[in-house]
Amino acid sequence: MRYEFRISGVVPDTLAANFPELDRIPVREQTLLLGIVADEAHLYGLLTRFQSLGLRVLEMRQIPA
Amino acid sequence: MLTARFTAPAVPKTLVHRPELLRRLTAGVRGPLTLINGPAGSGKTVLTAHWAAAGRRAPRPPVWLTVEPDDAPGVFWAYVLEALHRGGVEIPAAVGRPTRAEGVTQSFLVRLAAGLAESAQPVVLVLDQFDTAQPPAMTEGLDFVLRHAAGGLRIVLTSRTDSLLPLHRYRAAGEIAEIRHADLRFTHADAEALLGEHRLDLSQDGIRLLVQRTEGWAAGVRLCALAMQRSPDPEAFVRQFAADRTTIADYLLGEVLDAQPPDTQDLLLRVCVTDRVHPDLADALTGRDDAARTLAGLARDNAFLEQVDASAWYRLHPLFAEVLRAHLRQRHPGLEQQLHGRAARWLAGTDRLTEAVFQGAAAGDWPFAAGQLVDALAIGRLFTGLEAEQLNRAFAPLPAEAEGAAPALVGAAARLVVQDLPGYEDAVRRADCHLGPGSGAAARLSRAFLGVLAGRATGDPAATERAAAEAERVLGELPAPLVAAHPEIRALVLAGLGAVRLGAGRLDGAHSALTAAVEACGEPGTRPGTEPGPAPDTISGTELAPLYPPLCDALGSLALTELMRGRLRQAAAHARACLAVAEQSALPPERRSGTGHVVLAGVALEQDDLPAARSHLDLATATAAAGPRPEPAVAVAAAVIGARIAAADGDGEAALAVLARPWPPGAAPAGAWATDELAVAASAAHLARGDAAAALRALDTAPSGRPEHALARARALMAAGRAEPAARELAALPADDGLTLPVRVGACLLRARIAAADGDTAEAHRRLAEAVELARPEEVRRPFAEGGPWVRRTLREAIRPVPALGSPAGRQPGSRTGSPAEGQAGSRTGSPAEGPPPVEALSARETDVLRQAARMFSTEEIAAELYVSANTVKTHLKSIYRKLGVTRRSDAVHRAQDLGLL
Repeated sequence: MRYEFRISGVVPDTLAANFPELDRIPVREQTLLLGIVADEAHLYGLLTRFQSLGLRVLEMRQIPA
Repeated sequence: MLTARFTAPAVPKTLVHRPELLRRLTAGVRGPLTLINGPAGSGKTVLTAHWAAAGRRAPRPPVWLTVEPDDAPGVFWAYVLEALHRGGVEIPAAVGRPTRAEGVTQSFLVRLAAGLAESAQPVVLVLDQFDTAQPPAMTEGLDFVLRHAAGGLRIVLTSRTDSLLPLHRYRAAGEIAEIRHADLRFTHADAEALLGEHRLDLSQDGIRLLVQRTEGWAAGVRLCALAMQRSPDPEAFVRQFAADRTTIADYLLGEVLDAQPPDTQDLLLRVCVTDRVHPDLADALTGRDDAARTLAGLARDNAFLEQVDASAWYRLHPLFAEVLRAHLRQRHPGLEQQLHGRAARWLAGTDRLTEAVFQGAAAGDWPFAAGQLVDALAIGRLFTGLEAEQLNRAFAPLPAEAEGAAPALVGAAARLVVQDLPGYEDAVRRADCHLGPGSGAAARLSRAFLGVLAGRATGDPAATERAAAEAERVLGELPAPLVAAHPEIRALVLAGLGAVRLGAGRLDGAHSALTAAVEACGEPGTRPGTEPGPAPDTISGTELAPLYPPLCDALGSLALTELMRGRLRQAAAHARACLAVAEQSALPPERRSGTGHVVLAGVALEQDDLPAARSHLDLATATAAAGPRPEPAVAVAAAVIGARIAAADGDGEAALAVLARPWPPGAAPAGAWATDELAVAASAAHLARGDAAAALRALDTAPSGRPEHALARARALMAAGRAEPAARELAALPADDGLTLPVRVGACLLRARIAAADGDTAEAHRRLAEAVELARPEEVRRPFAEGGPWVRRTLREAIRPVPALGSPAGRQPGSRTGSPAEGQAGSRTGSPAEGPPPVEALSARETDVLRQAARMFSTEEIAAELYVSANTVKTHLKSIYRKLGVTRRSDAVHRAQDLGLL
């Protein structure tokens, strides 16, 4: 499963380093994090990790691989 | 450090008063559930702590528990009990205490809810950080207790995500108060107040910008205030902050961090590897000696580091710690692991074993982490105790190739926990390469300990005996206080040894090992129940938690041993103690074995109480289905009991089917006695079908020198009409004290029968009376029923000539059960002299059925009269025929009339 997470604000290198499995694309005032999500456990794990680092998820969707 | 979890965090000095929210919280706890939801740093905990501090003077102050994401359900409930206990809430001792990490039983929750329902004033329990990471079972349990505590419990939950509680139901019932993110957001006024507390004077525009950019996020406003204090131009800072698009948390923390002197920055980056930090630990991490001052300074001015309730410990705000870790990884790659290693050593040096092990594991320093566990004799804690799950998780990444004896031993233990025997063998072989007579005693003990548990799992008596003997020897070499701190090692070794001996049919040996195991756990019912004085840093009773599972296990095996030795009273007592311990310690179903119920079924069967035997066996089957891998001895006993019950119902086919059923997969091989036990049961089943030849063939398949076997053969021979060889079999039996009671009774009955067949009525009656005498103390009744109609008939005839049975002197005054030959029906008629009583009493229901039958009602009419089904009536009739020794309804009525039963 390939997912895209739209995060509010610019995610700096320091925090992005916590998600080596995701690619980062900066867009206007937001950041897209894209990558392969292994399964649901991984998905929810990612959401929890975003939250624990104070990253706000604006949108998330599954995208064609 | 545990204390911190039971106290509300200190309220920060720079606090924004939010009277509206406090009021809503106070109103909320008038109902059962109050939720405070919001992201990290939104001020949930601060608000709740502020509210709790105000409630401290209330007659019943709120009880606080900080939940952590790793808390397994069993641990969570243990902490809830401890929090209640510390909050002065009296919870009846009968509620029990959870002892397994994985969970608790429903009955524990029922008792807890009932206990809370009794409290005069409702208990307010704050569960801080109760997040969705918690297992659903835990949330369900909480929901259950809350609903069933009859208003005796009110819960305040703070969490980042909506909990899994069925909120819609609480909402529909109007039983919930919610304070959500939108409510928690700082308003313009709140922000202004906070800046004022920090002595910052910002323009109205500046404040507007700040609130807009942070979206009222409390931690953001707070961090901003901190950064501004150090900034020469706060207005410019806010403008710059508003213009920047970086994620708020990282931006502000970066600002705050950068504003600190380099030494402080370094300290913060280093201490974030542990959840809580002590100044000495911080010094160990930085290699300097300024931590006490720096930490105190940071805590004084700020929002992200706080002192843990009047202790020397501090904790970082979780969000801040998380971001700091991200910075640490980026700025000093590889340092994180080293720091975990240093923390591990400091914690080990201050006797904080479990935390040292976790830090060591986080450092990937396996020789250290495993070495700590092994040297402290704590290897048993991987198998039993509240920390078992967490420890196993910490060691999950342990690589197979980790060098040294300790990692191999811990790796082997972890494999054994999940019953991966090949994996265990591999690991233990690696451990053996490092171990020798010169190795440390703790390592050798751990090796022997694992040997016992593995021997039990594989059903290898020789290996188990060797390992147990080695363990006992090494225990003697170790310092006594260390051994005393880990009684579970000895308890597990002895319980394992006992179970293996039982499986091998060595009953006396099993009895001695199991008795010692029970002693090693302390007296059942006294030791695990007694509460030692509460130590500040422990949960009362948890140090005993590791002893419950082995105690329960040993009592179950001991009960089965006694059952097999024919000591029914002892067996029943141990079985009941086993069930009581399981209940008291809230062992979850997957940790229970059906042993206690199997034994009670066996006892009921020997005492010919078939309904009780059936219901216990059903319970045993249900328990075993959910339980761990079956013990061979228990599986065999259950099958044999099931077959005998079926045979007693006159259904030989069903009995054979029970015996033919394959063992549940994974059962270790049982000893030769087991094969014989099954053959004996099969022969009895064939006899119930009236097929003596098949009974003899069944016995031929498992030649054995056991007295049970000889007796079964004699019975089969007798049934085949061959009295002489039957007598020879009996004559070859060992002296009486070498036989179990049921065998002695059975042999006596058979001798009586042979004598009768010989025409020696006096001898037959003498033997019969002897059997009754033998059977009396343990109330053994089944062999009389299994002896066939002849026994019943003769007993009726013999009953008068035998003074011990007929005269009142033979009966204990006031005793519920006199001789097994007497039934209540006999006594009900007044004096036994009125007529020979039947072997067995009719139940009240059977008497009802018989009374209707006497009125010449048909089966259907009786059914209608008694409001039961026709099948039930037939069952009762069958039972009546059997008890009265008749085959027809009219005979039953006549016989009952003769006996004065109607």
